[in-house]
Amino acid sequence: MEKQALSKLFIRLFGVVVIALVVWRVVTVGIAEGYPTSFWISQGINGLVLGGVYALVALGYTLVYGILFMINFAHGEVMMIGGITGFFALQFAAAQGWMEGSTAVVVAALLFILIMGMLGSVVTGVTLERLAYRPLRRAPRLVPLISAIGASLFLQYSVLLIFGVSPHSYRKPDLISGGIRTGDVFIPYTGLIIFFASVFLMLGLYLIIQRTKLGRAMRAVAEDKDTAALMGVNVDAVIVATFVLGSALAGAAGVMLGFHNTVVKFNSGFIPGLKAFTAAVLGGIGNIPGAMFGSLILGMIEALGPSALGIPTEYKDIIAFSVLVLILIFRPSGIFGEILSEKKA
Amino acid sequence: MRKTFNIGLIAFAILTYLTLIGLPTRLAGATQPVLAVLLALFVYAVLRGPARETGMGLGQLLQHGLLIGLVAGLLLVVEVGFFNSLLGDGVKIQPVFDQIVPLNMAAMLNVRAGTVLNGEVSPIAYAILALYLALAGVAGGLLVHFTRSGAAGSMRGVHIPGTRWFTILLPFALFAFIYYLGLDGVTTFGNDKNIIRLLLVLMATGSGLFALRAAHAGLEQLIIGALLAVVLLCLPFVLNQFQNSVMNIVFIFVMMGLGLNIVVGYAGLLDLGYVAFFAIGAYVYAFVSAPFSSPYISALLTGMGISPQSPLLGYWSAIPLAMLTAAIGGVLLGIPVLRLRGDYLAIVTLGFGEIIRLFMLNLGDLTNGPRGLLQIAQPTLFGVAPAALTTHLDAQGWIFLLAILGSAVVAFVAIRLNDSRLGRAWVAMREDEDVAQATGIHLVQTKLLAFAIGATFAGLAGQLYAARQVNIFPENFSLFVSIDALALIIVGGMGSIPGVVLGALALKGLPEVLRGVDEYRIVTFAVLLIVMMIVRPEGILPSARRRRELHSEDAELPVDEDEQLEGGHA
Repeated sequence: MEKQALSKLFIRLFGVVVIALVVWRVVTVGIAEGYPTSFWISQGINGLVLGGVYALVALGYTLVYGILFMINFAHGEVMMIGGITGFFALQFAAAQGWMEGSTAVVVAALLFILIMGMLGSVVTGVTLERLAYRPLRRAPRLVPLISAIGASLFLQYSVLLIFGVSPHSYRKPDLISGGIRTGDVFIPYTGLIIFFASVFLMLGLYLIIQRTKLGRAMRAVAEDKDTAALMGVNVDAVIVATFVLGSALAGAAGVMLGFHNTVVKFNSGFIPGLKAFTAAVLGGIGNIPGAMFGSLILGMIEALGPSALGIPTEYKDIIAFSVLVLILIFRPSGIFGEILSEKKA
Repeated sequence: MRKTFNIGLIAFAILTYLTLIGLPTRLAGATQPVLAVLLALFVYAVLRGPARETGMGLGQLLQHGLLIGLVAGLLLVVEVGFFNSLLGDGVKIQPVFDQIVPLNMAAMLNVRAGTVLNGEVSPIAYAILALYLALAGVAGGLLVHFTRSGAAGSMRGVHIPGTRWFTILLPFALFAFIYYLGLDGVTTFGNDKNIIRLLLVLMATGSGLFALRAAHAGLEQLIIGALLAVVLLCLPFVLNQFQNSVMNIVFIFVMMGLGLNIVVGYAGLLDLGYVAFFAIGAYVYAFVSAPFSSPYISALLTGMGISPQSPLLGYWSAIPLAMLTAAIGGVLLGIPVLRLRGDYLAIVTLGFGEIIRLFMLNLGDLTNGPRGLLQIAQPTLFGVAPAALTTHLDAQGWIFLLAILGSAVVAFVAIRLNDSRLGRAWVAMREDEDVAQATGIHLVQTKLLAFAIGATFAGLAGQLYAARQVNIFPENFSLFVSIDALALIIVGGMGSIPGVVLGALALKGLPEVLRGVDEYRIVTFAVLLIVMMIVRPEGILPSARRRRELHSEDAELPVDEDEQLEGGHA
């Protein structure tokens, strides 16, 4: 026991030292650089947009983890497939001349593209669950993870083989290609749309989980599969529904990211997927508000961190992962992590 | 019947997938037979289980097989016809489906590409394709029938006296054949000799593991083990440069896999950032031996009056340094993650691996960034390059020899550790941390030792890898190395040392043999990984303990196989 207390004290001390160092660095370097306020605001907005995308993907990880206690390693690829499907929907819409129509037509076309992307992801996610995860539901934890890694590789390289090497470029319609400029701050429309759409979708998800019968069933299954089954919950159906919800959000993220970054490739889901997973862990995996909050924090850190600490932007991934490691040292199950994860992990 | 129809739909989906990835284009004239064989095997795989359980008769089996074949064949014909009509009208499908080109469709129907372009494919060609696939379905059904009622069923449990000796002698026969193929003037297999010889080497090494298993414990096993070791040590002298370069990477991954096996297999700590230690070993050796080392170190050496052109340390004297640095890295990673469990551990280690790679990429002064460290010194034998001593051993063969020796040392240490007090502590910790702690196991120490020892092995492997590559770049150390290493211990059988060797042979060696169909390497590997997890999660050569763990669970859930068959209901 004494040893435990000592190590706790050591960790606390370490935390104080780290925070002091970071503050010192920010004060001496970040502020001394003297960036204008508008720079910070633009970076902050970038962070929010990035955080919105991460959140949509992170929710998929968290939903699946909350119910099955497995990392759906292929979730980033599910998002990528949403982006690819959205690209073809966009091509189709453009061929019909919808993208040059009146505002109402363009908005309708964009919604169509979004829904197609979500559909593409949902089909992928559900198929994945059926073929690669369901047979392994009772297996030890490493087994579904490996299967998921296989699925991730399979999806990436199948897309590469089927749709070719050349990246698929989204062409934004005029309606959303500009942005708002106030003073020195420029906000692209796509950024605004991503942020508000992700907030809207997250609210929708929250309502589904908290207020509907399906949501109650999902929470029951997350708590205890066997007992939920005894209470008349169709566990398989609930798990499929979970994959549907998670994949739909990922598909939306894929399409929006396609419009924002203008390019979708076979491997463009991998890094965002990894980041989103980091965000989910940061917030406490299995916890829905945690995933949203963790994603926004991660997005902000990536956007603001390098300039604040006065280090090159190439190190933003290092900062992101270091923050993850640091937070996990002090709170081993994430910011909002429950004691539950201790029990099940 | 509905179920069978659904299976037919799945078969159709698989065939469509193969068409979309452009397999027919590569296979050309052999497309129809290959697709037929694949379909027959698929039918065999799905019907085998239910046939055994429900005792289906031959007629029923044929019926089901025919139905699957017909559904798949007719749908495929409709699909190909659709694509052909588009292509015939001059529509370009390529912007969407990259591989749907006339050549592909023509191979499918066994006609010339021109006929597809002109839209004059005769209906007979379509009929033949459908017929082929329907017959393949029937053949699959027949296969189920024969393997069931014929030999396999009655022979199970019957001991055939020759088989054990056959297993034991097979690797030696294969090695002899490999030696024969390498003799001057032997022209068997013509142009494919290089690849076939490599395949034989992989098979021989793999069958060596089975021979060891088949041998009776005690003197017999010892003798056979010693003979196999001698033959294996001769291999680098017999093989050519290409085969050696494949085999040395296989054995470098054996070393790495054995290290990861300690962390994941014994101690149960899921580490997705294992490549970090591999990279540390490689970079440390590069720092001390590459003349075009980092600008920072070069300047430092010049300042100290040492010429940066000559290697600071040789291969052998750098070994302790590389191992020690990797071990320190392991402890440094271990300390912050001591309190983490399961998936949190996975993501933090993954992050650690990425951090190390990003540092290598961005710390340009120290690591030369993406330009890498060049001209790393080769290992020598008492100061002499072995190529100067014998003409039979090329540079890659020398690395191969070192990799075998390294693997042997690492395997020996791993075996001894597994049987030691520490090894039992690891297993106890893996099963239940709280109980382990209650029985007096010092968790901190035990975990850190697992990380440190695993890291040491990876560092050793990394150093040899740096020597093999001569020039190393940060891209050599991506997340995929970790994934490869993890996949190989899982495919081989977690916690099992022969399993690691077999996994490395299968995952790092076989893909090289399949170089011709390079594009399909990763996809095939990915499918194998998933299928393997479903069919045989304990790996090919599991440790006895692990097999029991996984199969006692199966025994509680006899419905497992039913579930797999129902595919398509979702």
